[in-house]
Amino acid sequence: MRQLLNGNEAAALAAKLARVQVISAYPITPQTVVVETLAKYVADGELEAEFVKVESEHSALSVCLGASATGARAFTATSSQGLMLMSEILYVVSGMRLPVVMANANRSLSAPLSIWNDQQDSLSVRDSGWIQLYGENNQEILDLLLLAFRLAESLSLPTMVCYDGYILSHTSESVEVPSQEEVDAFLPPYSPSLRLDPDRPLTMGPVGVPEIYLEARYMQHRALRGAKEGFVRVAEEFGRRFGRRYGILEEYRTEGAEVLLLAMGSLAGTAKEAVDRCRERGERVGLVRLLLYRPFPGEELVRALSGAKVVAVLEKDISTGWMGALYTDTVAAFANEARRPLFLNFILGLGSRDVRVEDLEEVIRTVRREGEEGRVGENPRWVGVKKEVLE
Amino acid sequence: MRLPEEELLAPGHRACPGCGEVMALRLILKALGRRVIVVQATGCMEVVTTPYPQTAWRVPWIHGAFENAAAIASGVEAALRRLGREGIKVVAMGGDGGTADIGLQALSGMMERGHNVLYVCTDNEAYMNCLDPSTLVLTEGGLKRVSEVRVGELLYSFDTQKQTLVARRCSGVFFNGVHDIHEVVTPHHLIRATPNHPFLILERGGRGGRNRLVWKTLSQLRVGDEVVVLKKIPYGHSYRFNFRPARIGDPKVAHLNPVRIPERSSPELMKLLGIWLGDGWVRPERAEVGFALPEGKRGRRELVGLSQKVLGTTPTGNESHLYLYSSSLARFIDSLGFGRGAKNKTIPAWVFTLPVEERKALVEGMMLADGYSLGGSHRYVSASRELLRRLRLLLQTLDYRVGKIHWQERRKGERCVERELLRDTGFGYLCFSRKRAPNLEEYPSQCRYGDHLAGNEFFEMERIIELRYAGRNQTVDLRVERDHNFIAEGMVVHNTGIQRSGTTPFGAWTTTTPAGRIGRGEDRSKKDMPSIALAHRIPYVATASVGYPWDLVWKVRKAAAVEGPSYLHVHCPCPTGWRHDSSLSIRVARLAVETGCWVLYEAERGEIRITFRPERRRPVGEYLRLQGRFSHLTEEEVERIQREVDERCRELGLGWYG
Repeated sequence: MRQLLNGNEAAALAAKLARVQVISAYPITPQTVVVETLAKYVADGELEAEFVKVESEHSALSVCLGASATGARAFTATSSQGLMLMSEILYVVSGMRLPVVMANANRSLSAPLSIWNDQQDSLSVRDSGWIQLYGENNQEILDLLLLAFRLAESLSLPTMVCYDGYILSHTSESVEVPSQEEVDAFLPPYSPSLRLDPDRPLTMGPVGVPEIYLEARYMQHRALRGAKEGFVRVAEEFGRRFGRRYGILEEYRTEGAEVLLLAMGSLAGTAKEAVDRCRERGERVGLVRLLLYRPFPGEELVRALSGAKVVAVLEKDISTGWMGALYTDTVAAFANEARRPLFLNFILGLGSRDVRVEDLEEVIRTVRREGEEGRVGENPRWVGVKKEVLE
Repeated sequence: MRLPEEELLAPGHRACPGCGEVMALRLILKALGRRVIVVQATGCMEVVTTPYPQTAWRVPWIHGAFENAAAIASGVEAALRRLGREGIKVVAMGGDGGTADIGLQALSGMMERGHNVLYVCTDNEAYMNCLDPSTLVLTEGGLKRVSEVRVGELLYSFDTQKQTLVARRCSGVFFNGVHDIHEVVTPHHLIRATPNHPFLILERGGRGGRNRLVWKTLSQLRVGDEVVVLKKIPYGHSYRFNFRPARIGDPKVAHLNPVRIPERSSPELMKLLGIWLGDGWVRPERAEVGFALPEGKRGRRELVGLSQKVLGTTPTGNESHLYLYSSSLARFIDSLGFGRGAKNKTIPAWVFTLPVEERKALVEGMMLADGYSLGGSHRYVSASRELLRRLRLLLQTLDYRVGKIHWQERRKGERCVERELLRDTGFGYLCFSRKRAPNLEEYPSQCRYGDHLAGNEFFEMERIIELRYAGRNQTVDLRVERDHNFIAEGMVVHNTGIQRSGTTPFGAWTTTTPAGRIGRGEDRSKKDMPSIALAHRIPYVATASVGYPWDLVWKVRKAAAVEGPSYLHVHCPCPTGWRHDSSLSIRVARLAVETGCWVLYEAERGEIRITFRPERRRPVGEYLRLQGRFSHLTEEEVERIQREVDERCRELGLGWYG
């Protein structure tokens, strides 16, 4: 059934369809509507869940931790500063292999205070051991969240689905919503074999003495690497049931492309427009959009990008003092490859600085020129910075 | 009222002897029974009860982080309700740090939302952390294992003002339980300690800046850091032996050989003993003291001379061995503590108290036996690793440069120091040489640049060459008066740490509120957590103490029966942090209540009722005096505490009598 939903509503609806049992979230712009919508579902009896009105995001994720450990399906949502505040617990949840699912409305990081969009928040916790998925539109928010619950519980790994604040969270789109029965068939109830239970007492979260810590982290790392195949399998089943196919990445008009753009999230939508215009002019430009960011699919990206002469990595974040996160991860995947395109990093859109199709066309022009010359100019390049600041 | 016999907290956990918190835990679990889920904050209790792969918990238990026990418990409770699993009580537990400081927010949220959770705070009034018990510490009575040091003993210490060696009184010995141990290695010293143990380090001020000595914890040390170490002990006095020679009439003594047993040590005797240490043995049952000294070996001539001079007798023997037959002498040497058997020889502690010449003489004797020199470098070989280790320490006290102990295994028949080996054996050697004194007159800055303490009579700087993890072990700590440091394994170390929390009482010494010329310990009063809980208007709030177990159990059961949030604050002495003997924990806990420093009450729906009234309230001094953390308080400061306690008791309606 088609509904007109903004990104936050899509996220809340996904949690409802997934029959989450414990919700614990603290309101923060631009995620607030997720929390409000869920509260309304519970108040109206449409969703039978415990809604814990926590006093901070740190406690929000802590409540999810306790609930998940007890055997309940737990969900939370946040953005930016909230994600930062709960970041300590992100690592604890993943280290304890609890399948908590989170919706993160990507928002910029303070200081300076910004409620607007970019991907600094989720990218700065890329090391936390969570599976990270990025949606391009509201349909994907709904679908990827349903996928997330299934993926998290089958692998015992927490998962976050990220979507751009305001651009998606506050924009209404037409979304195909599956029925409750269809979702129930895809997502069985959560019943872990290990949970807190006086009939079978166990100790969760002991001291990780040096004799075993290395192994514990290695096993967790291996499990997270395994989430790549896990995602492909689950997405395949999702595609069969619901008709919408998702993969680790999407290749948009990449045949014979000399120039390839790499991007995540809604930025890819704008990039697709720019690619279309270039292709009309006969230029061989394409786009690779990454859906699964952690675990990082190095091999798949190498396969998708090798053919190009030059790759422009577009991202809405910066590891301040160096390059963007997506760029450094991608280049690392190519470190030992014999065939490597030229890589350029473009930092754009921070704090909702608008990225227009024309801006991307300009980027493509720059990239093609430097690709031909075979040398990279300034790297990374910040798109749209006011001239007076650049001097 | 009866308590179940079943122990829901298994013995074998790593809490310190006398720990109040773990006593509380045990009682609380007995009071609650099995149908619980425990959510624990990071803290002493979490660490000592769950060293993977072991756990002390026989009930379901989860630990997440330091500040969120109440939030995790909220999640557990919500899940149980949603899943329809009834009859299970959720208990959140934290120490004073995890409750009153960093955990306050989550606790407040949990109480405000009305979750059905019992929150227990086990309050030992600070954040609690030491040395491996085999660590050798320099006392006035010689080198001792830190675990053998007694309160009142004089320890050598680094006077931070004058930068000299002084003797200071040890005012406490604390067994701190099992912790991670790391090793700090410098060219001539090795010490094992916990990551929070402070060392005296040189902080370089950089170009134009001043260098100064600062305390840094082991976890902050880096390879290359310069640490203050002991150079040599110049003091010493001849040792008076406590030995009763045999007399005619003693069992089996019919005849006495004319051997003079020395009453005190002397350089000649020490040299003789040094030769014996390397090449000798003793068989008291045969009244035999023997030396494997072949003719031609220089040691042989020396021994004969020394024996005549010191013992008044000439050894007998053949071309390969010398013997002294005297049951007194044999028993005497056996009693000195050098050990028996090539692999078990060692240097006893009293040798370290001898004057320089006597210590040197022992080394000379040892070198005559099993050592050899190559130019300015000397080498000593032995089959006893312990002997090499002790010799190394002894040489350091004599201001020698010493190397590592090199150990190897050899086969039967191979030659080793002029002898063929009779069987497969392991042995090692130690190299040492004289140090060159720095030319301070001509090059003062350069010398000080290399060694901040160049020219100092007793101490010098050494660079840390390695820092490594050494496993988990029991740890011991000492409290030393005034400068609060002592010399362990040659390095200057501080006594460790216990940092303040919001519930640290007024006047208490902690490492973050130390008492000195200006600071006088903790300058804030204890945060009143029970009142904060009361302000949230929850159904049940109570205070308790491990010194009153039935009162505690009664309150635990009452709190658990509440449908909604309940808060229990338990006062728990900590011998390690409060600096009292581990056997006194209950007495200290009771005195806290009997003096009114801790009042036992409960509040049902906001109405406070005192549950124990001491017959006659004792003066606070009786409680404070038992604890080292209050030992710096003046009379006026104690009076101020008394006034505060009086005021608080008046508020609660607890008078002086009953």
